[in-house]
Amino acid sequence: MRTASPQPPTASAPSAAPPGARSRVLPFWANPRLGLVIVIAALVALFSSLSPAFLDPKLTLAPLQADVSVYVVVGLAQLAVLSLGHMNMAVGRMAALSTFAMGLAYDRLGVPLLVGLAIGLAVGAAIGALAGLVIAKTGVNSFVVTLALDFGLLGLVTILYTQATDGVAFAVKPAGLAELRFDTFADYCAGELCGPRVPLVVPFALVAALGVGLLFRFARLGREILMTGANPVAAELSGIPTHRRIVAAHATSGLLAALAGFMLAANNGAFSASIGESFLLPSFLAPVLGGTLLAGGAVSVLGTVLGATLTQVIYKGLNLLQFSLEELKLYIGLVLLAALSLDRLRAVLAERRAVSSS
Amino acid sequence: MKNLVMKNPVMKNRALKNLVRTNEFTLAVIAIVGFGALAVATDLNLLTAGTMDAFLRFLAVPIVIGLAQMVVLVVGQMNLSVGVLTGFCAMASAWLLVEAGVPAPFAVLAALALGALVGLVNGLLVVFTRLNGFIVTLATMTILEGLRYGVNGTGTYQGYSPGLRALGGASVLGVPVVFLLAGTVAVATALFFRHSVPGRRLLASGGNPFAARLSGISNDRALVLAHTLSGLLAGVAAVIVVAAFGTVNASIGDDLLLSSFAAPIIGGVALAGGVVSVTGTVLAAFLVRLVDVTQAQFDINRRWVDLIIGAVVLGAVLLGRARDKLTGGAR
Repeated sequence: MRTASPQPPTASAPSAAPPGARSRVLPFWANPRLGLVIVIAALVALFSSLSPAFLDPKLTLAPLQADVSVYVVVGLAQLAVLSLGHMNMAVGRMAALSTFAMGLAYDRLGVPLLVGLAIGLAVGAAIGALAGLVIAKTGVNSFVVTLALDFGLLGLVTILYTQATDGVAFAVKPAGLAELRFDTFADYCAGELCGPRVPLVVPFALVAALGVGLLFRFARLGREILMTGANPVAAELSGIPTHRRIVAAHATSGLLAALAGFMLAANNGAFSASIGESFLLPSFLAPVLGGTLLAGGAVSVLGTVLGATLTQVIYKGLNLLQFSLEELKLYIGLVLLAALSLDRLRAVLAERRAVSSS
Repeated sequence: MKNLVMKNPVMKNRALKNLVRTNEFTLAVIAIVGFGALAVATDLNLLTAGTMDAFLRFLAVPIVIGLAQMVVLVVGQMNLSVGVLTGFCAMASAWLLVEAGVPAPFAVLAALALGALVGLVNGLLVVFTRLNGFIVTLATMTILEGLRYGVNGTGTYQGYSPGLRALGGASVLGVPVVFLLAGTVAVATALFFRHSVPGRRLLASGGNPFAARLSGISNDRALVLAHTLSGLLAGVAAVIVVAAFGTVNASIGDDLLLSSFAAPIIGGVALAGGVVSVTGTVLAAFLVRLVDVTQAQFDINRRWVDLIIGAVVLGAVLLGRARDKLTGGAR
């Protein structure tokens, strides 16, 4: 899922070849997604041979799928602005503010589960749009704007929770939240036929990934966002309203952050102030591992899904092997560094081959 | 640009006007007014020796950590590992003092060397992998988090080297030694960027890498040097932490990452590179500390501080934009 930049590929400068042209020329093993699939498969095999509990459907696989789902959506929230070459440093706090809105709606208004979710998504999209608006209108670096927003929301969310609850979390449990947390499709049978042992939150992530994938591949809006990311001046000259596209991308990011917050709240069983605290680093890990660059103009949704899966498989596996959370970080960092360096090496080798064969 | 020969009063007047228009001048005015207002609001309690001492003592780390971020911003890079590296260096030197029984001077040197070494690795990784510095330091930050915890788990080191702790708690004429150290580091950094050849090269490379390369400056070397300096400054911050706080554990550095960006950005350093402002960074750290102290003095919810700092960061950047527009974009 990559875009082609407008300029034609030049044989004399292979390193400047646009991503679209590169994907046509390069051999299949230069695709970073394939490497991720192999690494994930190898790690699953390794962990299940070291600890048979890794393949236990109820203890490991179901929670693993639930975790992967959350972090896929977190990664997509970051991907939405990486498409522009922007960053969203407030991705976790946007999720926190949105889940506060959801918790408030359930607690004070007693709305059904999905209505509360819709309210939260609207709040997330609004705060994202606000960030986008400031960036587009002032031209200030997105990193600075969202960093300032993160500081601001960090304060605001805690103050709001202190005002509206006992300070930590909403006590309310809307109908359906417990099912979302504990049930899998295996608990729902039509006669003899029962569903697979897949948690109920997984479809949320699938819908999000499909939606974002379709947006960037087929929708005019998504294509125009990518063009704005690839070359803002050229996009502006081609008649694309770049300011509105920037706002749209950031609103999408806020919306997805809100969805991730809702899914984490469902997994934890509570709408609490701590939601989103752990989102920032994974939000970059998943898209970057999947081959999305920070430069903008190209995204990989499938890569983001695989990147999130890889990090969560490592967490879960090392966790089963009794590693502490802090030790895990050491290995996650090393894997990230190794994966990125190998990816770089692969790209260089593939480019050389493409040049020598042409 | 500022060193124009001032021949007549008109030129002098213009130089004064230019000074008034600088970001640093605005920050200095805000800092003085804010400090004065707080002093009056607390019935001059702020000016008592004990309060002033604490004010300056806890200003030392924010200044140095802001400078550590600034030196990589100069070449258009970011260093996400700066806070965690400070924590790791602090834990490592405390381990040397407590577990290995190394004399204090060596532990201090080891912390500085370790910081510079990690910075060097960051720089080399950026140069050799051609990856964005943001991603490289994101990875090394994650690794360092693990290492920082690996030194002593959740345990706390305390009661090490009485000499070092006494130095950290000492004051000269009412000014804490650690603050003097931070001030010295700031002056050295300013001199480095203003008068030394490597410093000017960093600025040239950050401002326009292409032009710098054509002038015979190695951009790769500039990247490595900037990251090494950033690591070294994180090591200095670690030494201040070990000396002034008296206890060290694995949570040190967690709250430093965002504030390391806040100081240079408020201080007017551009993320795109090529701009340096040591005065601005120091003044911004002072302002943030002022907000902190106000919160403590009036017993305000700790969280309002974050809200205010967020507003200040954005406000400062927008103000800079507006001023650039008014003065026709001249920097």
